Amino acid sequence: MIPILLRCVMIALAIGLISEPLVAFAEQECTVPERFYTFEPALTKTPRALASGRQIVIAALGGASSLGVAAGGVEMAWPARLGAVLTERFPSARPKVVNLAVARQTAKRAVERLDRDVLPLKPTLVIWETGTMEAVRGLDVDEFRETLQTGIDQIRAAGAELVLVNMQFSRATDAMIHFEPYLIAMRELSDVNDVPLFRRHDIMRHWAEYGSLDLRTNDSEKRRQVAVKLYDCIGRAMADFVTHGHPAAKRAPSSEIER
Amino acid sequence: MTAAGRTLAVERDLRLDFFRGLALFCIFIDHLPDNIVARFTLQSLMFSDAAEVFILISGYTAGMVYGRILERQGFLVAGVRIYHRVWQLYIAHVFLFMIYMAIVAYSVGALNNTLYAEEFGATNFLGEPGLALVHALLLHFQPPFMDILPLYIVLLAALPLLLAGFRVWPWAMFVISLVLWIAVQFDGNVALPTYPGPDGVWFFNPLAWQALFFLAAWLGWRSIHGGVSWLNHRWLFWLAMGLSVTGFLIRFNWTLHDFYDPIPVPISAKLLWPLLSKSDLGLLRLASVLAVSFLVSSLIHPQARFMAKPAAWPFLICGRNSLYIFCLGILLSVLGHLVLNEFFGGIVMQFAVSAAGVAIMIAVAALLEWLGAAHDASGGSAVGASTASRGARG
Repeated sequence: MIPILLRCVMIALAIGLISEPLVAFAEQECTVPERFYTFEPALTKTPRALASGRQIVIAALGGASSLGVAAGGVEMAWPARLGAVLTERFPSARPKVVNLAVARQTAKRAVERLDRDVLPLKPTLVIWETGTMEAVRGLDVDEFRETLQTGIDQIRAAGAELVLVNMQFSRATDAMIHFEPYLIAMRELSDVNDVPLFRRHDIMRHWAEYGSLDLRTNDSEKRRQVAVKLYDCIGRAMADFVTHGHPAAKRAPSSEIER
Repeated sequence: MTAAGRTLAVERDLRLDFFRGLALFCIFIDHLPDNIVARFTLQSLMFSDAAEVFILISGYTAGMVYGRILERQGFLVAGVRIYHRVWQLYIAHVFLFMIYMAIVAYSVGALNNTLYAEEFGATNFLGEPGLALVHALLLHFQPPFMDILPLYIVLLAALPLLLAGFRVWPWAMFVISLVLWIAVQFDGNVALPTYPGPDGVWFFNPLAWQALFFLAAWLGWRSIHGGVSWLNHRWLFWLAMGLSVTGFLIRFNWTLHDFYDPIPVPISAKLLWPLLSKSDLGLLRLASVLAVSFLVSSLIHPQARFMAKPAAWPFLICGRNSLYIFCLGILLSVLGHLVLNEFFGGIVMQFAVSAAGVAIMIAVAALLEWLGAAHDASGGSAVGASTASRGARG
């Protein structure tokens, strides 16, 4: 028993030390290390459409954090920032990010809205931020999983691509909300359905560890500014995430790219 | 140790202590956030995890110990002693809630102003802390880490009823327990609500988990009456073996896949999800813990030699003092959580916090052992903490 345990511990240490980016100390304020999406399946239709300069609709579903409440407005929220970054990178594509987030919305309510508000927009990509309300209220995890599965199936059936986004991380409140079961449920759902998961929780935790994106200050204006920066970072990271794995999509489109 | 104490130690089924100690370490480690060590605990090897093992062994021990007291000293004494345990668990629950409130008080400004302000606002919890307190006292409010103690409290509180039932109508008890468990499996609404809601439910549904505790308590009760004869059938052993090995192959494959994504998964988790609910103690989790524990109990002798080795000692003493170490483990999870989110420190820190927590659990268990031995030596009847009651730590 003990030797096996010890061996496991040693293997874990070895793997951990290799994958842990020691260079992270030197990196910029909010870059996202490769390991956060190495194994996430890459999108295909969305980056291709962006690269070819077609106009596409990206629908963002979510709660308060997608509305930019802490930063003071929806134009500061990550969907708006994502839209701005994509427009900058693909000027001819004119990507339209529609923010359909509603504060305090559960996954169940979001699924109920799919047919009415989301799918009629014919989105190429749906980005679905969820799980916070369930964790805060302690809703049934199995039901949460089933609800997300229903939503995933519906969005896929409509021919749209999908990215799941999990909860935010905040040092101040992390010990107060039991996120773990919901985070695990989302990770498993993304894995078995081959849906890319934007691991916002881990990414923000990483920023909190290495960067200065810490909202713990009593100065409310300063806190708002940090939130603005944070949502901008999320928007940028999301732009990288939806185009990753497609070299063509990295640059602004030129006539050679689309064969 | 006195002569009486020594005889008791010889009779004692060391496997109960050893594996309960192991489960306690795993519960603590699994509760730390984003902890790499948690990938090597029981949950990575079988469908169930340390929670099932803990409830199973606790149920068995409780059925055995309090069953014996019931036989010798009557229902009233057994009932009072069980409720004394329940009371201690309840005090631990209230203590944990105080810590939770302290954390909330410390970061209340952050709650009001930042990332989760909206969602917290919806729960109305900050506006009515008095009400939250009442709900916590009623086991109705279960913040992080405060879900497994209420389960244990409720199950133990039902034990006098179970023991009485075992004596009078064992079959009726079986049917009630099974029907409840099945009802939970098929109807998601069979659950206990939580504050602040709406729609919040107990993470560990006692209406489902009672099935495991009941079965274990019954086996413990039977063990003082010569055991259960049909458990010795050979086919049962091979069935348990088959279930355990199959479960291990499937579950460990998921663990490896989780570690390194390109490893293929022949049997998708999606197929088995309906049977793997932790809240509702799904069929596979129940079958897994029963099969594995049956196998372990068949293959390992109650006083097997490896448990006499020094390396087994930490497990034994923690398992022997399980009530205290269980509560301590939950407290350490909360503190470890705070430390990891305050200082981060990656993998090295995760190992350090895991090791430190386990070391503290062992140290406190050693202290309790020493205290118990000192108590025995001095006659030890003053506070009623005699060896017999130490044995009764259910």
